[in-house]
Amino acid sequence: MEPLTWTGTIGTFVNPIFSITAIAFGLAVVAQIVLSFFAPAVTLQANADGTLQQRGGAFGLAEKAVKLLLIANVALILVYLVGGILLPYGDAGIIGAISKRFLPVWIALILTFGVSITFKRRLGLYGKLFDSTVGMIGFALVMFWVFTAVLAGLFDLIATYDPLSQISGLKNKVPGFPVTDERKLGAVPHYLLGGDNLARDVFSRMVYGSTVVISIAPLATLVAFMVGITLGLPAGYFSGRLDTLLTFLSNLILAFPVILLFYLLVTPEIIQTGIPSYMAMILFIFPVVFFVVLLNARFYTQPSKRNPILIGVLAVLGYFYLSTISQPGTVVHFLPAWLDLFDIPGGILVVFVSVVFVNSPTVFRIVRGLTLDLRTRDYVAAAQTRGERPWYIMLWEILPNARGPLIVDFCLRIGYTTILLGTLGFFGLGLPPESPDWGSTINAGRRLLSTYIHPPLAPAGALLTLVLGLNLLADGLREESLKD
Amino acid sequence: MIDQDYDGPILEIDKLSISFFTRLREIPAVMDFSGKIMPGEALGLVGESGCGKSTVALGVMQDLGVNGRIVGGSIKFKGQELTTMSPDKLREIRGSQIAMIYQEPMASLNPAMKIGKQLAEVPMIHDGITEKEAMQRAFEVVTDVKLPDPKRMLNSYPHQLSGGQQQRIVIAMALMSKPALLILDEPTTALDVTVEAAVVELVKDLGKKYGTSMLFISHNLGLVLETCDRINVMYSGEAVERGSIEEVFDHMRHPYTQALFRSIPLPGADKNARPLIAIPGNFPLPHERPEGCNFGPRCDYFEAGRCDAGFIPMAQVEGNDRHQTRCLRFQEIDWKAPINVGEIKEKPEPGPVVLKMDNLKKYYEVAANALLGGGDKKVVKANETLSFEARESETLAIVGESGCGKSTFAKVLMGLETATDGQILLDNQSIGDVPIENRSTSNVADIQMVFQNPFDTLNPSMTVGRQIMRALEIFRIGKNDDARRQRMLELLDLVKLPRAFADRMPRQLSGGQKQRVGIARAFAGDARIVVADEPVSALDVSVQAAVTDLLMEIQREQKTTLLFISHDLSIVRYLSDRVMVMYLGHVVELGSTDQVFAPPYHPYTEALLSAVPIADTSVTKKHIVLEGDIPSAMNPPTGCPFQTRCRWKSQVAGNKCETEVPKQQIMAQRHQIKCHLGAEDFASMEPVITIAAE
Repeated sequence: MEPLTWTGTIGTFVNPIFSITAIAFGLAVVAQIVLSFFAPAVTLQANADGTLQQRGGAFGLAEKAVKLLLIANVALILVYLVGGILLPYGDAGIIGAISKRFLPVWIALILTFGVSITFKRRLGLYGKLFDSTVGMIGFALVMFWVFTAVLAGLFDLIATYDPLSQISGLKNKVPGFPVTDERKLGAVPHYLLGGDNLARDVFSRMVYGSTVVISIAPLATLVAFMVGITLGLPAGYFSGRLDTLLTFLSNLILAFPVILLFYLLVTPEIIQTGIPSYMAMILFIFPVVFFVVLLNARFYTQPSKRNPILIGVLAVLGYFYLSTISQPGTVVHFLPAWLDLFDIPGGILVVFVSVVFVNSPTVFRIVRGLTLDLRTRDYVAAAQTRGERPWYIMLWEILPNARGPLIVDFCLRIGYTTILLGTLGFFGLGLPPESPDWGSTINAGRRLLSTYIHPPLAPAGALLTLVLGLNLLADGLREESLKD
Repeated sequence: MIDQDYDGPILEIDKLSISFFTRLREIPAVMDFSGKIMPGEALGLVGESGCGKSTVALGVMQDLGVNGRIVGGSIKFKGQELTTMSPDKLREIRGSQIAMIYQEPMASLNPAMKIGKQLAEVPMIHDGITEKEAMQRAFEVVTDVKLPDPKRMLNSYPHQLSGGQQQRIVIAMALMSKPALLILDEPTTALDVTVEAAVVELVKDLGKKYGTSMLFISHNLGLVLETCDRINVMYSGEAVERGSIEEVFDHMRHPYTQALFRSIPLPGADKNARPLIAIPGNFPLPHERPEGCNFGPRCDYFEAGRCDAGFIPMAQVEGNDRHQTRCLRFQEIDWKAPINVGEIKEKPEPGPVVLKMDNLKKYYEVAANALLGGGDKKVVKANETLSFEARESETLAIVGESGCGKSTFAKVLMGLETATDGQILLDNQSIGDVPIENRSTSNVADIQMVFQNPFDTLNPSMTVGRQIMRALEIFRIGKNDDARRQRMLELLDLVKLPRAFADRMPRQLSGGQKQRVGIARAFAGDARIVVADEPVSALDVSVQAAVTDLLMEIQREQKTTLLFISHDLSIVRYLSDRVMVMYLGHVVELGSTDQVFAPPYHPYTEALLSAVPIADTSVTKKHIVLEGDIPSAMNPPTGCPFQTRCRWKSQVAGNKCETEVPKQQIMAQRHQIKCHLGAEDFASMEPVITIAAE
C-alpha cells in the first residue's frame, strides 16, 4: 500500500494553478492598500441630464481584481474537496479522503443552509443571520463541528479508527501512512492525519474529541447562564445592599486565579472533603429555581393553571437535579441505584462545576448591567403601576428584552468554555488522560513537538476553527440584532 | 477658498433627490426638493418625522453615511456645486462656512475635553490661528451667547453645564468661525420651554448680528413662525408648499399645510365646541408611497384619476412670486370655507370629588456616601405641601418644567413611593402611605397611567394582545383566557385599533398606535383616575390630535378623572378644565383654565405662557425671557422657589421673596396663587397673549 500524498493526482493539475492565483491575490491586496494612499478618491460627477455618475480609476481596478481572485481561490479549494468526494479513494490525496469521510456532514450542512435560507424571512433573528456573510461563515463552522460530534458520537460515522486502539508500527507516523496490519484495517487503509506517540489515529481522535467538547461546553455555559441570570436580575433590579453584596462576591471569584482554582478543585484531598459535590448541589439548583420562579410569576394569578404546570416541571427538573448530584462514591449519595437516572464520571462533574463556577460571575455582571438599564423603561413602570410582583417584572418584562446581548454573549462564552476545556485538558485536569478531547490531545502531542509536529496540529486546528466560528457567529448575531 | 465677497444666494438647492440603499431596495428619502436661501435669510423646514427634513440638512453637509447617496439634482453653496466637490474641499467648508447644530447638545460635545479647548479647535483648524488668539475668540463668542461667567465656562467640562448651557456652547461652537450658513436641526427639542424660548431668542439675535443665513429644521410651527422669514413645508420626502411665513400661515395653498394647522391646538380651539381635526390615515412608508400626490389618500380634496395620475410639479401661486405649492387643485379649492366641526359635544358636568390631596409632602434623603450610608444626608424636597381636589370626569392639567416634581407626584399617587407627610384620599380612603403591594386590586386598577414615550411604553418582546391580557389577569378580570381575550378585543375597539393588532408585535406599530395600546392597557381595569404623563408630546402633530381626541372621548364615556401632566400650554388650554402650575415642588398657581390663562398670573405662569410658541400670526405675545436655568432641587433657593428668576421681585417690599415662602393667596373662587405680590400688582398685570381681531 502506497502512502497518500496531500493532494493526490488532482494536485498535479490544480496545484500550479492554485499557487499562481494565491500569489496574484496577495499582490492585488498589496496593490489595493498602496493605491488607497495615492489614488484620487472616488467622486461624483454631475451629468448634463441631471443624473450623477461615479468615477472609478486605478483604485477601483485593484478592488475588482481582489474580488475576482478571491472567488477564484475559493473555487479551487472547492475543487480539492469535491474532487475527493467524486474520484475513487486515493486519487485526491489526504485532503480528498478527509473530505469524503466528512460527506455526511457536508450533506447535513447543505440541507441546513438550504432550508434556512429558503425560510429566512420567517425565522426571526436566526433567519436574519443568513443576511450576514460573517454570521453565515461562523454558523457553518460551528455547525460543521456540531454535526461531526453528533454523527461520530451517536452513529459512529466519519471517524476511521477507534480513538483509543493502537496499531503497532504507526507510532508518530506522518499523515497518509498506510496501515499494514490487515486484521486491524479500519474504514480507510491509511492513518489520514498520521499516528500519535501511542500509535493511535490522529484524525479519529480529533473527530471523537469534538463529541466531548460539544457535549460539555454548551451545557456548562447554559448552567452558568442560569446562575448568572438568577442572581443578576435581582441585583440589578433591587440594587442597594443586595447588589453590593453579590457584586462583591462575583469580584472575589473573578479575582481568584482560575488555574489555581481548578488545581484545587481536582486535588484528591479536596474531592474527599466533598467540596465539588456540594458546589454541584448549589450550582445545579439554579436552573430548577429559575424555571419554577419563571412559571410561577407568569401564572400565579390563575392557580388552576399554575399548579399542574409547576408540579410537572418540579417533578421532572427535580428528578434530574437529584440524579445529577447523587453520585456513588462521593459524600453526596442518597439515591438508590435503581432510582438514579445517570451517573456523570467524577472528572467530568468537576470540570462542569469549575467551568460553571468561573463563568457565572461574568454572566452575572452582564445581566446586572442590562437590568440596570432596562428597569428604567416605561413598560417596567407600567408593570409596577399595575401591581406586578418583582420576579414577574424581572423575568418577563426585563429578561426577554435583554436577550440580544445575552445570545451574543452565549455564543462567545461557549467559545471561551471550549478554550477553558482545552486548557484544563492541557494541564491534565479533570478528564481522563486517554480522553480524545482536544486539550488533552494537544498536551500529549506537545512533548514531542520538536520532532513530530503533526499530532497536536489537527486538534489545535479543530479548536481554532470552532472558537473562530463561535466568535464569527456572535459577531453576525450582534450585527443583525442591531439592525432595524 | 470660497469667495468671501459673494452676494448671490448663499444656498441654492435645485431638484435635489436623495436615496438610501438597503439590502432590499432603494428608499427615496427626498425627492425633487428645491430651495434658496439669500444672505441673512432664515428658512424654516417643517414636517413630521420621516418626511426627509433632516436628510436635506445632511445632504447639504454631504454627510449621508454609507447607505445614503444623492441621486439627482444639485446643491450650490455660494455658487459652488457641493455634490461633486472633493472631500478635501468639503472639509474646508464644513465647520467654517457651513455649521450645524444638532438636537442633542450632549452628543455634540466631547465629554473628555474642556469647553474652551473644543471651541478653540474650530478656528485653529480652519483659520490656522494660534491657540491664544483662538481662546480669545472663544471668550468673545461665549460672551455673545450670554453665558454667565464665560471664564469659568471655558474651563469646565460639558457635563458640568445644564442642558440649556450646553446648547448655547454648541451654538457658540458653530459661530466660532463666522459661518455663512447655519443649519439647526431641532435645536431646542431636548430643552424645557422657558429655556427653549431663551435659546430661540439668542439664535434670532445672533443671526442678525453676524448676518448668518439659517436653515431651521423643526416640527414645531410656532417656533418657525418666531424665527424664520420663509418656510418650506415637507411631506413624505417632497416639499409641498413654500413661501414667506405670512403667505403660508395666512394664505396656505396646500391641503396638507391646512390640515396641519387644523390639527394643532391654537388659542381658538376648544375640545367641545371646536375640536382639533386629526389628519385621517397614516404617514406612508417611503417604499409604499402612492402614485401621484403623496398626500392624496389622506386629502379631503382628493380627485381620483387626477391626483393619482402621475408626478405633480410645484406650481406658482399668483400674487406672490416666491410662493409655490405642489397641488393640482389649489385654484379650485375654496380656502376660506369654514371648518366642518362635526357634532358639538356636551361638556360633561364634573361629578363628586374622587381624589383629594391634602398637604402632600414627599422628601427624599440623599446620603453623601451610598455604600456605607454615612456622611451628611441631604433632603430633596420633591413635593412641598400639595393640596387639591379632582372631580369625576374632570381634566386637571399639571404643568411644569423638568424637575418641578410632577413625576414624583405621579409616583406617590400610583403607590410606587409613599408620601412623607400628608394624605391622598381616594373616595375618602387614605392611600398616601400604602405602597402598591399592599393596595387592593381594585385600588390599583382604579388609578392607572399613560406614559410619555410611545417607543418605551410597550414591552417590545410581547404581542400587543398579550400585554393587555396580562393587565386583565393581574386585575382579575374575566373567568378564563377566552373571556379575557374577548375583553381585550373590546378594549382594542375602544381605542379604535383593528382587532388584528392583537397578534402584532409592538415594533410593527406606529408611535400613535402604540400610544393607543398604552391607553387601552390603562383602561383595562376600568380605571377611574388616569394619570397621563405627556401622552402626546413625543408624537407627530397630526397624530397628537387623534390621540388627544381619543382620550377626551373615552373620558366622556367613562367619566374618568384625567390628570394630564404636560409642559405644553397650548394643549393644556385646549383640553383641561383646571390647571395646576408647579415649580420646584411647589404649586405656584391653581385654578380653572380660564383663570390661569388670564391675568392675574403667578410670575412663573406669565413667563411660561410667553415662552410657548404659537403658530398663529394673529397672536401677539408679550415678551418675557427668563434668565438662567431652573435651580437644582438638591439646592433650592431660600424663600420663594421662583425668586431667582422672577421679574416682579423688585415689587415686593423688603427681603420677603428671599426669606419667606409665600402663602397661597385666594384670588377668586378656587383660584389660588403662591406669591408675595400685592393686590395692586396683580391688578396691573396685562394679558400675555392677545389675539388680534380679524
